[in-house]
Amino acid sequence: MALIEAKSICKSFGDLAVLKNVSLSVGQGEVVCIIGPSGAGKSTFLRTLNHLESITSGQIVIDGQLLDDRADGVNRSPLSKKEESAILLEMGMVFQRFNIFPHKTVLENVMLAPLHVRKMSKEDARARAEDLIGRVGLTDKLGVYPSKLSGGQQQRVAIARALAMEPKIMLFDEPTSALDPELVGEVLAVIKKLASVGMTMLIVTHEIGFARDVADKVVFMYDGTILEEGAPQDIFSNPQNERTRTFLQAVL
Amino acid sequence: MNNLERMAGWIPPLIDASKITLSLSVISVVLGMVAGTFIALGRISANKAVSRACSVYIFIFRGTPLLMQLFFVWYALPLAIPELTIQNRFLAACIAFTINSAAYQAEIIRAAIQSIDSGQMEAAKSLGLTYAQAMRHIIIPQSIKRLIPPVGNEFIMVLKDTSLVSTIALVDLMKRTSQIQSSASTALVYLPSAALYLIFTAVFTYLFSWLEKRHSVYE
Repeated sequence: MALIEAKSICKSFGDLAVLKNVSLSVGQGEVVCIIGPSGAGKSTFLRTLNHLESITSGQIVIDGQLLDDRADGVNRSPLSKKEESAILLEMGMVFQRFNIFPHKTVLENVMLAPLHVRKMSKEDARARAEDLIGRVGLTDKLGVYPSKLSGGQQQRVAIARALAMEPKIMLFDEPTSALDPELVGEVLAVIKKLASVGMTMLIVTHEIGFARDVADKVVFMYDGTILEEGAPQDIFSNPQNERTRTFLQAVL
Repeated sequence: MNNLERMAGWIPPLIDASKITLSLSVISVVLGMVAGTFIALGRISANKAVSRACSVYIFIFRGTPLLMQLFFVWYALPLAIPELTIQNRFLAACIAFTINSAAYQAEIIRAAIQSIDSGQMEAAKSLGLTYAQAMRHIIIPQSIKRLIPPVGNEFIMVLKDTSLVSTIALVDLMKRTSQIQSSASTALVYLPSAALYLIFTAVFTYLFSWLEKRHSVYE
């Protein structure tokens, strides 16, 4: 069964249509990479899934539950605010600019949501946070404030922070675009590790090599629509669409 | 008696009256900050009616003279609504100054909150925090450091503006100064009085810059 089912998503900012009938399905344990030129609507699409942007029309089904059902901007979903929040918790998100909390230490960043949202005990939240921080290789930075960390380390903390809520799906919005080139590898390695343990992931990325490596499916977006999708070897070695070809020639 | 000795003799009564000046300033700025926080949150709230009401509040109390607000609380309110007569001059002054300072601090706090990168709120939301939790744990703590310099400024303004209470016969530093001036028939008393105001502002300026440094630990 698909964990994410987006059906005919449309999104406009005023007169500007940024998403035009985008449909995508992501199965359990699948890693899907979205590529495409900037302004294609990749990030916007990702952000509509966890309600950082509202859609104008379309349906979003998460783990079999209808999260969004809109037509002409009118919400037809019968969900209460509480039910909606519960479904949204199934998705964790990692941002291009990390958005780590600067006034909290690494440990506090990761503990915060389990404490206040899941109402976990301090001991449990701490144990979980320490475990996750260890898994992203930052055990020696537990009590450190983010300003003392490199971009790559901050992004790894952000990943641990999202994982602490035990989401079924991870959304990555250009997780390495704001990083110095030498720091990209450490973040991609953490994401790869997640892929290897079966995490369902939707990743907007410009790292073509990484997408080829890790993705089960690659989606090419252009001008608010999905022009092409398929297995990475097909998309990268034998793109069908002219626009995909042009884009890949430019970035490879 | 030479002038220096005379001035030294005025210092104890001036300091005594300064208690009113200082306590009024601290109470008004602290209460004004509490009220101002709620007004600021209301001002940026998605609820149009709440936001509108808070804007109107700020418009009125920033847009009229503080002296007029003080007179309103002390003189006009008892005439308009006798039940709201305030017997205590100090209490009346606290009310007027708090109401006024809340309007100024609401704008300071709103600006500080809105200066926090929107990604912080997005990250908090994506982790499942409610708007109120995000404000409380993420946004407001980060805005505090940015609040300190303008609130320090506001405090010094209020400290000096408390001299207006001499008009409702509350004996603050200013009122005591003018009492001494008329009883001693000399303007010399303004020297120690001004020196006291300067000492107070200097102490609080130092205090606020210390607070600012203390809040920079994570940067």
